[in-house]
Amino acid sequence: MSGTGQEQSVGIPPAEQASGARLATLRILLSNEFGLLVLIVLFAIIFSTISPAFLSKFSLYALGRTSAVNIMIGFSMMVVIITGGLNLSVGSIGVCAAMFGGLLMQAFAMPWPLAVCGGLAMGAALGALNGFIIVRSGLHSFIITLATMSIFFGVMIFLTRAESYRDISPAFTSFGRMKLVGIISPLLLVSALAGVLLSVLFRYTALGREMLATGANERAAELSGIRVNRIITYCHLLSGVLAGVAGLMLVSRTGAAIPSMAGQLGQDWLLPAFLGPVLGGTLLTGGRVSVLGTFLGSFLVTMLTTGLLLMQVGAFWMQTYLGMLLLAAVLIDMVRRSYLTRRKLI
Amino acid sequence: MSRRFWETDWFGPLMVIVVAVAVVSALNPSFLSPFNIQVLLLAIAVNAMIAFSQMIIIAIGQMNLSVGAIGGLSAIAFAGMMEVWGIPWPIAAILALALGVLAGVANGVLVALTGISAFVITLASLSVYKGVNLGITEAQPFYKIPDVVKGLGNDTFLHPLPWLIIPCVLAALLLWYLLNRLPLGRSILAVGGNEHAAELSGISVRRVVIVAHAISGLLAASAGIMLVGRLQLGQPTIGDDWLILSFAAPVIGGAILSGGHVSVAGTLLGVAIVAIFTQVLVLFNIDPFLVQVVLGVLILWAVGVNRFREVRALKHSAQVAS
Repeated sequence: MSGTGQEQSVGIPPAEQASGARLATLRILLSNEFGLLVLIVLFAIIFSTISPAFLSKFSLYALGRTSAVNIMIGFSMMVVIITGGLNLSVGSIGVCAAMFGGLLMQAFAMPWPLAVCGGLAMGAALGALNGFIIVRSGLHSFIITLATMSIFFGVMIFLTRAESYRDISPAFTSFGRMKLVGIISPLLLVSALAGVLLSVLFRYTALGREMLATGANERAAELSGIRVNRIITYCHLLSGVLAGVAGLMLVSRTGAAIPSMAGQLGQDWLLPAFLGPVLGGTLLTGGRVSVLGTFLGSFLVTMLTTGLLLMQVGAFWMQTYLGMLLLAAVLIDMVRRSYLTRRKLI
Repeated sequence: MSRRFWETDWFGPLMVIVVAVAVVSALNPSFLSPFNIQVLLLAIAVNAMIAFSQMIIIAIGQMNLSVGAIGGLSAIAFAGMMEVWGIPWPIAAILALALGVLAGVANGVLVALTGISAFVITLASLSVYKGVNLGITEAQPFYKIPDVVKGLGNDTFLHPLPWLIIPCVLAALLLWYLLNRLPLGRSILAVGGNEHAAELSGISVRRVVIVAHAISGLLAASAGIMLVGRLQLGQPTIGDDWLILSFAAPVIGGAILSGGHVSVAGTLLGVAIVAIFTQVLVLFNIDPFLVQVVLGVLILWAVGVNRFREVRALKHSAQVAS
């Protein structure tokens, strides 16, 4: 959608061209990504003035490492949201993939790259299963993934007897604890790489465009020859893989695959999963995506959490703040959208 | 319009219950012992409130992820007011119920006025309410619960009928009356069936949405208060595991998630099915971890059956028309 402003201004008198350029600038200034950047800078300044420890090497490193996982969780939900659906089982799938990876490393003594592939394959399989059931039943993804969230987690707990795998290959855990240039976690680079790949997918590949088209208008997409069912299954498969990546990142960071790492039924991942994409401007009704927005949104959320914890303003109230943030984000987005529509900027 | 009894929402679940009870009691006679029935009824009483709380929102075609958070917040408010402020229990219960209504109204107002999907609003309010709960309790339970409340939460008034079954039956009757006999109930179903048509026919959709969320909050709060009596302490974790159950029971009872069609009797039977299956896992020493799997499978099975019935009904009406 971006760039239409310039195209329209061709052959229009200079005066209007100037106002067109101003509109384009205004549009950038009102975009989610710009807003998020401003907020990130603003809060970084606030936190570092109140508590100088915020800018310490370790604090920055920890922030990058934690946000890497949250960004991945956000991506995992984002790829399903673009089809107009949801995936409540991201946490469940993430934990299942992590536990499977842990099992392969501990019980089968597999080298870690193979075990990681195994974990990701588990994530892909569970995601594909979600997609398959949704497409075949024709029911909304909400109720299907609500059920599978319970099933995946229940089976995982049953098979593992709720015990952790702590015998994780040292090479793998050292990856999660490595520091590049003193402050950058390689995990953040993994998330950035995933972001780049997803951007390429949605911007330059037919598959990505078909995913967006399916989300924008499923019927129209179907009529124009897109195999909608297959596309939806792919989106869920991709979501499963990304959830698996997030789960394995946690394993590499903590050095153990723990069944409770995403809370009861993986519910603890739900809020970060939605916060990132919603803050970043991904439409919940589908059809529009912002990978950079999700990246920045998840980063902002992690930064706020870290900063507030550092300032010791009631760790127990954290969930309340995050909930209000989500509420504020959707309300501001609504106001912004109606403003843009009134000024005919969208 | 009159449907044959085997086409009603409650017939399928009722058959499942009859067969399950017959099979289980044949294999293990202690299943029908008065004590076991009392345990079953206690579970059903609380879970039915949770299920009704979600059912009324399903009726308007929305979802409420915050039922557990509202229930938990009301539960710790109830226990906390009694322990910290020494408020007598009936007043504390009323105040906690009012808190539940308030939390529900907040959900309803936000959904109705902004037009943002109930999923996102209640996901946000879920963490706000849960955060307030944790902020107040710092994850520590309230222990000083009056003996009367403990008694009401566990004892029977007529063996093997527990006290807790009374509010449950009352809620079921009132909800049935509301949805089937009162104009407000018809409006709720109309909004769920087709919001636009309801608006055009003069129903204030906003008002209906807010009222439905208020009722949902009230029911969730009652479930929380009842659990305080049953567990004999104000646990901050009350409500954490309600979400799956709250959808499972109405869906087993034939509720259609896009709205406009719910069944009070079906939902009650759905709760009973879940309670019986859970009990069976315990009675036969099968792993209790499998409860989650059973719940998930029940949901999938129920939505599949509902879908099948819906499609068949459509075909049937098409045949009649042609």
